[in-house]
Amino acid sequence: MLRFILRRFASAVVVLFTISVMVYLIFFATPGVDPAARIAGRSASPAVVEQVRIAFGLNRPLPIRYLLMMDHLFIKRDLTSYVNIGDKVVPQILAAAPVTLSLVLGAVVIWLIVGVLGGLVAAANKGKFIDPLIMFLGIAAVSVPAYWLGEVVNLITQNELHSSVFAWLPAPGWVPLTQSPGEWALHLLFPWLTLAALYAGIYARVLRAELVNALNEDYVRTARAKGLSERRILLRHALRCSLISITSLFGLDVGALVGGAALLTEVVFGLPGVGLLTYNALENLDLPVIMGTVMYGAFFIVLASAVVDVVYALLDPRVRIV
Amino acid sequence: MSDATLNEPVLSVRDLSVTFATRQGPLRAVDGLSFDVGAKEVLGIVGESGSGKSVAMYSMLGLVRDSNVAITGSVKFEGREILGLSDRELQSVRGGDVGMIFQDPMTAMTPVYKVGWQIVEQIRAHSDMTKAQARSRAIELLGEVGIPDPKTRVDHFPHEFSGGMRQRVVIAMALSCNPKLLIADEPTTALDVTTQAQILDLMSKLQESYGSSIVIITHDMGVIAEVANRVVVMYAGRPAEIGPEIDVVRFPRHPYTWGLLGAVPRVDVKNRRLVTIPGTPVSPLDVPTGCAFGPRCQHKMAICDERPILRGGDGHVDACWLSDEQRVAIRSQATVRGVADE
Amino acid sequence: MSDEVLLRATDVVKSFTSRGKKLGARSLNTAVNGVSLEVKRGETLGIVGESGCGKSTLARCLVQLIPVTSGSVEFNGVELVGLSRRELRPHRREMQLVFQDPYASLNPRRTVGDIVADPMRINKMAGEREILERVRDLFVTVGLDPASVHRYPHEFSGGQRQRIGIARSLSLNPSLVVADEPVSALDVSVQAQVLNLMADLQDQLHLTYLFIAHDLGVVRHVSDRVGVMYLGEIVELGDAEALYQAPMHPYTEALLSVVPELNDTDAPRRERILISGDVPDPSDRPTGCSFHPRCPAATDICQREAPAFVELKPGRFVACHHPRNVDE
Repeated sequence: MLRFILRRFASAVVVLFTISVMVYLIFFATPGVDPAARIAGRSASPAVVEQVRIAFGLNRPLPIRYLLMMDHLFIKRDLTSYVNIGDKVVPQILAAAPVTLSLVLGAVVIWLIVGVLGGLVAAANKGKFIDPLIMFLGIAAVSVPAYWLGEVVNLITQNELHSSVFAWLPAPGWVPLTQSPGEWALHLLFPWLTLAALYAGIYARVLRAELVNALNEDYVRTARAKGLSERRILLRHALRCSLISITSLFGLDVGALVGGAALLTEVVFGLPGVGLLTYNALENLDLPVIMGTVMYGAFFIVLASAVVDVVYALLDPRVRIV
Repeated sequence: MSDATLNEPVLSVRDLSVTFATRQGPLRAVDGLSFDVGAKEVLGIVGESGSGKSVAMYSMLGLVRDSNVAITGSVKFEGREILGLSDRELQSVRGGDVGMIFQDPMTAMTPVYKVGWQIVEQIRAHSDMTKAQARSRAIELLGEVGIPDPKTRVDHFPHEFSGGMRQRVVIAMALSCNPKLLIADEPTTALDVTTQAQILDLMSKLQESYGSSIVIITHDMGVIAEVANRVVVMYAGRPAEIGPEIDVVRFPRHPYTWGLLGAVPRVDVKNRRLVTIPGTPVSPLDVPTGCAFGPRCQHKMAICDERPILRGGDGHVDACWLSDEQRVAIRSQATVRGVADE
Repeated sequence: MSDEVLLRATDVVKSFTSRGKKLGARSLNTAVNGVSLEVKRGETLGIVGESGCGKSTLARCLVQLIPVTSGSVEFNGVELVGLSRRELRPHRREMQLVFQDPYASLNPRRTVGDIVADPMRINKMAGEREILERVRDLFVTVGLDPASVHRYPHEFSGGQRQRIGIARSLSLNPSLVVADEPVSALDVSVQAQVLNLMADLQDQLHLTYLFIAHDLGVVRHVSDRVGVMYLGEIVELGDAEALYQAPMHPYTEALLSVVPELNDTDAPRRERILISGDVPDPSDRPTGCSFHPRCPAATDICQREAPAFVELKPGRFVACHHPRNVDE
């Protein structure tokens, strides 16, 4: 098992390296993209551009430039933004990461509880009134765009009813957990609910489908023939087996969200997270920041898929560990 | 065991009907089925796919989980009516006094749990044994069904066993609570012939030591002949013929049974042409009001538009309008021709 | 039946490599381990064996659906092993397959008429009009209503689908039909119809069958000669009647003894020989005779030496150190 885990993580490192090379090539070596011109500014003379080129080491061969970039990004950690000269990339990301992590992890708890309960209740009551009701709510939650839902939530809690029902709610923004846990949770409450709504909808629907399939499996018939209670069959047999396929979905969703995919929610609620940072960098074509955030995002997605594989092997004894 | 309990059937089914409400109208999967299973008796239920043989047994134990199903009639298990019991009440019957074995041992166990865990789970659902006691009982059971090295194998997952071995585990599980009745649904159909022989052998040995009655559901007349004391031949949800195994195999009365027996290619005798039953099994959605087998029967008469009842003597009954003389004539003719053609 | 050999396989081996349990280790899984056989024109050669014995793989090797690892397959006197796809094409037409699962082997999106016509279209056998004519004829031949050519597979029952599969296999006028478990998915009454149909077609069209099945009764019923496979090898081959009456290989003997019998006569029941255990993994083949760990007659020599596949009686080949029923 340990060997399997080590191998899996070794291959994750290889994947990360490949991603870094490809991203570097796309943003820094694509014909027509001249980092020196971007740094020098729009009206710089050719002489200035040339000077910048030499100063930033951009005249050196491509592999060296790549290594320099990686050196600044990972080892010296002093890579600076091309747009806001002086802003270091790594500390920016490190400052944004807790925001995103707080947002995503809180939402995860909510969506898992709501999604799993919804899926279980719907599957257990298949064919009754409550099943289509939950599935309708699920599809509604999936269909509503996060930015729209976020705006509506803001409209209600911050404008319309802010002086009455939601008077207890602070203005949108970010308060670190270390500063005040209560404020932290209060500020994040509606962002959590907004982000969780979409995923709770997806998970309830996927889990219901998985459970309905599992409940038609032969082993469930065997479990019934053994005289087990419906509750035990649902939780210990059907749910346990359905979790195997839910896990991969879950791991990749969390990886992507931590990696920056919670962008819309961050923007709507003014949370200075990684998504927002990436969004701004892309708008300004701020190459070093893009490089940094892409690597940061890739790290979590690759990490998540490696963790999923390990968890998968733990959950399903049929997966042969080679 | 006293004589009185010996005479009383373990399972007594009267006029069991199972009807599914479908969009195309009512689907009568089982229609007026009656039979008894005596103590220590092996009853075989034989029929082709769609004959309702599995649905009949599943329905009486509450294993048909469809809100559109209507089950009528009476099913008495050890004298107690079990049709209409709540699911909670049936739970104590299932797996406790009634054990079940299924067709495909590859999918019959939950893949993520060790086999020992699954046996322990069943034992603990029906008794107040401790985990340790149940576990040692599980090891004992695995040994009894012929799993080598049961102390180690108890901690293996289902996928680590071969098909035959897995079926042995399923049997061990079914026997774990000393059932009075064992229902085996095509227990050897998914197995190779040498493995089938091992499993049938094991089942008869265990039947002797446990004294359970067995209902074996199969499409294979050969398996019936091998293990059953009595046979119910089913067609389109209805019993076509019921009788002692030896009588039904040697002196079949119903034209469907004739066809079923004649259609089996034999290992012991060579015949160039098989008896065939023309057409395909009738869809349960449009079973004729008269004899269900009528449309495929070569000896159909005018009266066959009326539904025949089971009649006959000496515990050998069938549902057919042919008179005894007619049957004798048809059978001797068939022997002369050697074949009944398509 | 004539003595002309239509298909001759000599020492056919097919192995697959699979990743082993240890890191980097590759295990060799020999599914077919040196099979030699002849199929004579007009006969039915039955191949019987339990699951995993390699009978389906052998069939696929013989018709060159998968390449053999080594050995030779001659068809109509032409060596097929080593031919290119293009060179194989004219021979492929002569050898057609009927598959086990009538539900999975027909394309659900094509009409059954098209399914039967496609092989002829691909091989440009004739004009479209003639092809359609022939499809209708084939439908009549296999006992289907020619008016149903425009319907789709799901509208047919299992037995009817298998008839469609047979019609498709006959569309190119093959001389050899390889049927891989053609009736195992069917109910017994329908199975009898399909078996009778295949027998009729053989008489009408002078077909040669290679018939593969696990059901010993079915194989006896259809076959002139029978080969019994165990763990990738043919352990016994001979005239069907003689082989079933007096099996010479202990595996054949055990196999036949455990088939459930109807027991509808007063003849004494064959004594059952229960063989214990399971078929070994083909990647972990026993030494000597493959069957020795389960064989009731095994001795020391069986552990050390693999028995040769020899002709013990005219037309009767057995691979065993201690054959039974030699004097009968």
